[in-house]
Amino acid sequence: MQQPNKLTPFFENLNFEREDNTMVINFGPQHPSAHGQLRLVLELDGEQVVKAYPDIGYLHRGIEKMAENMTYNEFLPTTDRLDYIASTSNNYAYALAVEKLIGIEAPRRAQVIRTMLLELNRIISHLFFVATHALDVGAMSVFLYAFREREFAMDLMEDYCGARLTHSAVRIGGVPLDLPAGWLENAATFCDKIDHEIEHTYGALLNENRIWKMRLEDVGVISAENALSWGCTGPMLRGSGVNWDIRKEEPYELYSELDFDIPVSDRCDSYGRFRLYMEEMHQSARIIRQLIPMYKKTEPQLMAHAPQYISAPKEEIMTQNYALMQHFVLVTQGMRPPKGEVYVPTESPKGELGFYIKSEGEPYAYRLKCRAPSFFHTGLLQELLVGTYIADVVTIIGTTNIVFGEVDR
Amino acid sequence: MAQHQVNYASSAGLPIALTSVDKLVNWGRSNSLWPLTYGLACCAIEMMASGASRYDFDRMGTIFRASPRQADVMILAGTLSKKHSEFARRLYDQMTEPKWVISMGSCANTGGMFNTYATVQGVDRIIPVDIYLPGCAPRPETLQYALMMLQKKIRRESANMNNNTKSNLRLV
Amino acid sequence: MRKYTPKDNVQGKAYYTDRFWVAPRVPRLDVEAESHFADVVKALGRKAKESYVEIGQLVVHIKATENFNVLKILKESCGYTQCSEQSAVDYLAKDGEFELFYQLLNISEAKRVRVVCRIKEGEAIESVQPLFKSANFAEREMFDMFGIKVNNHPFLKRILMPDDWEGHPLLKTYPMIGDEFASWYEVDKIFGKEYRDVIGPENRDPARIDRYDTKRFSRVGYEVPFGADISEGEIENPIEYSETVLVDYTKNSSKQLDERR
Repeated sequence: MQQPNKLTPFFENLNFEREDNTMVINFGPQHPSAHGQLRLVLELDGEQVVKAYPDIGYLHRGIEKMAENMTYNEFLPTTDRLDYIASTSNNYAYALAVEKLIGIEAPRRAQVIRTMLLELNRIISHLFFVATHALDVGAMSVFLYAFREREFAMDLMEDYCGARLTHSAVRIGGVPLDLPAGWLENAATFCDKIDHEIEHTYGALLNENRIWKMRLEDVGVISAENALSWGCTGPMLRGSGVNWDIRKEEPYELYSELDFDIPVSDRCDSYGRFRLYMEEMHQSARIIRQLIPMYKKTEPQLMAHAPQYISAPKEEIMTQNYALMQHFVLVTQGMRPPKGEVYVPTESPKGELGFYIKSEGEPYAYRLKCRAPSFFHTGLLQELLVGTYIADVVTIIGTTNIVFGEVDR
Repeated sequence: MAQHQVNYASSAGLPIALTSVDKLVNWGRSNSLWPLTYGLACCAIEMMASGASRYDFDRMGTIFRASPRQADVMILAGTLSKKHSEFARRLYDQMTEPKWVISMGSCANTGGMFNTYATVQGVDRIIPVDIYLPGCAPRPETLQYALMMLQKKIRRESANMNNNTKSNLRLV
Repeated sequence: MRKYTPKDNVQGKAYYTDRFWVAPRVPRLDVEAESHFADVVKALGRKAKESYVEIGQLVVHIKATENFNVLKILKESCGYTQCSEQSAVDYLAKDGEFELFYQLLNISEAKRVRVVCRIKEGEAIESVQPLFKSANFAEREMFDMFGIKVNNHPFLKRILMPDDWEGHPLLKTYPMIGDEFASWYEVDKIFGKEYRDVIGPENRDPARIDRYDTKRFSRVGYEVPFGADISEGEIENPIEYSETVLVDYTKNSSKQLDERR
């Protein structure tokens, strides 16, 4: 039975009688290809978009406010819910920012595991991009194939940390667990599989597909200056011909030791960006392959040794008095980083994910600002959509690869 | 003259099945539950995964529909923010009867870890919920189980929704 | 006595801090001569009130009125073509000021600069949207979260919160679980104020237990049917916690003698 409520019938989304002969269309917030909760108010002249106004905030959960009310370790699982398609890259970006603030470095085995997980998450995220982008444009079978391989990558993550989606697989100062037995062999098999599938399944279905090319080529063109000015990063910037990848330019973790290429496209359109994503998956698989022999040469230490900030390993807590006392203080009060501010950028699958942390020497961050790439990519939509046709709107939203957990935070 | 004796009760008899109208209607309703694609947050990714190749929702007669007019079930997958709550209620009102609601994930059940100013503390404040699904995020198996529980629930209720009482709606 | 909690900062606080504990500070290094950062400071000249290097990035303090000019110099003569992030920090409780920061990126040199300025409460800041279009959304978010007005912004409106929202959530005076308005927002909007009694207040206590709820809570030691009413006519009385930490044991228990026996 219908309960009474105050909501008026929602007819204001269509507005036919206007003097300037334009029509206002409300797109979202529940739209199957809005990638979450994007609401677009589009002003149309015929089929052409005259004005676009992205309305966000439908997934605003107050994550930055929560950071001011939680100790540093408590906040880490919340970062999972930012870019929930590649959780580990958020965990890592946050952990790295806190590590820079307190001035510690993770031990080498933790670095190898972290880099592997980051690249695995990049593959998961890019597969998701290919799947949903293809589904939005109309290629249903690619969605099913890409999700098949994505499940194998999720299995690897699940083997490592037990969760499929919200991993929390990185801690401040290292990683909580060592790799389980047989994980490296599975990862190597997965890399071969993904390389094969990119070439022979998605590539074969999409790369030279006539419909796919007609839908994507010369759609959503961004010039390099515009991309820089709007704050685009990651594949959005590299798709406009700017060779900028934080993994190469400001290397963190083991990226300075690894051998990989940064694909750049100067087509500036959606098709170029799609090819970039496909090539980046190859490069991620290449990185994971290089890391497998590096893992075997490392010492088994997983967490950094910094008793002021980080609890000792469990064996020490159970056997040594001082370690137990430190652990008690760190759990009940939380670590107190020094006063200061830090901004650490990392290259997440979507672009530059940075955490700005202002610490006043308290166990709670005074201010935490998450610089989310998707937030700025959403801002770009108000310029990118103007002048395109309504059929291309979905393609352009798909190509920006926005995730609303991090747009609205 | 050959005598034709037909045993109607045996399996080789005439294709007749005896049932009640309730059972027939509920059989149809429960085996073609069409959920609304209403992805709100992280759980939406698991909802997509359960619709995709490995978990394959289609075999249960569950096909995601993009329009609330065509949908029977609303799977509220993820955090419902206060800004969005109005739209959630509007979509629920737009769905045709009979309709059911699955609240997927801790955020939709109680607000979960987001005990903040911007989050609705449980979608049951604005929408009546049939199945609460715990987890952050629940695995696709959990969503499948929730859907099977909903099917079970539908089979117990009366086809005329006005006759449903608390006792025959309850799951045991 | 109840512990005093300040009203101008209601965010999380350490419940115990050692009296003699002094928080250390992240080292602030001087700008090295002949480096890229030295050129930046030189280009800014007297506009830079204070400049130092903190964790690999140059931090420049400027006057709030000069923010547009400083960012223009940085963009046009120093190659800082991207504004990665722009937001504010609330120091109203301590200094009555907001601290604004602009995080800039130079792509050819791979260097980052943070431009910091302070404004008083109620003051406005000039928009940098003509220089960096990314400031369009960033400044709107800052307005939404802190209530800082931005002059000459093309479309200064709330972005993350609804248009009819009251309060600015990231201020230190705004509690994390929201105020009265926030807690009834969706009920007022959908059903109207008269439905507040029907729906009831939000449950913000994750450990809340309803004694007579046999649907969501099971009994320990004996079984009851699902959904059965086990209150036996009792009126539900919530568990009362002690309002004060100190208990007055001396009230009636002992007697003060007038003179020593």
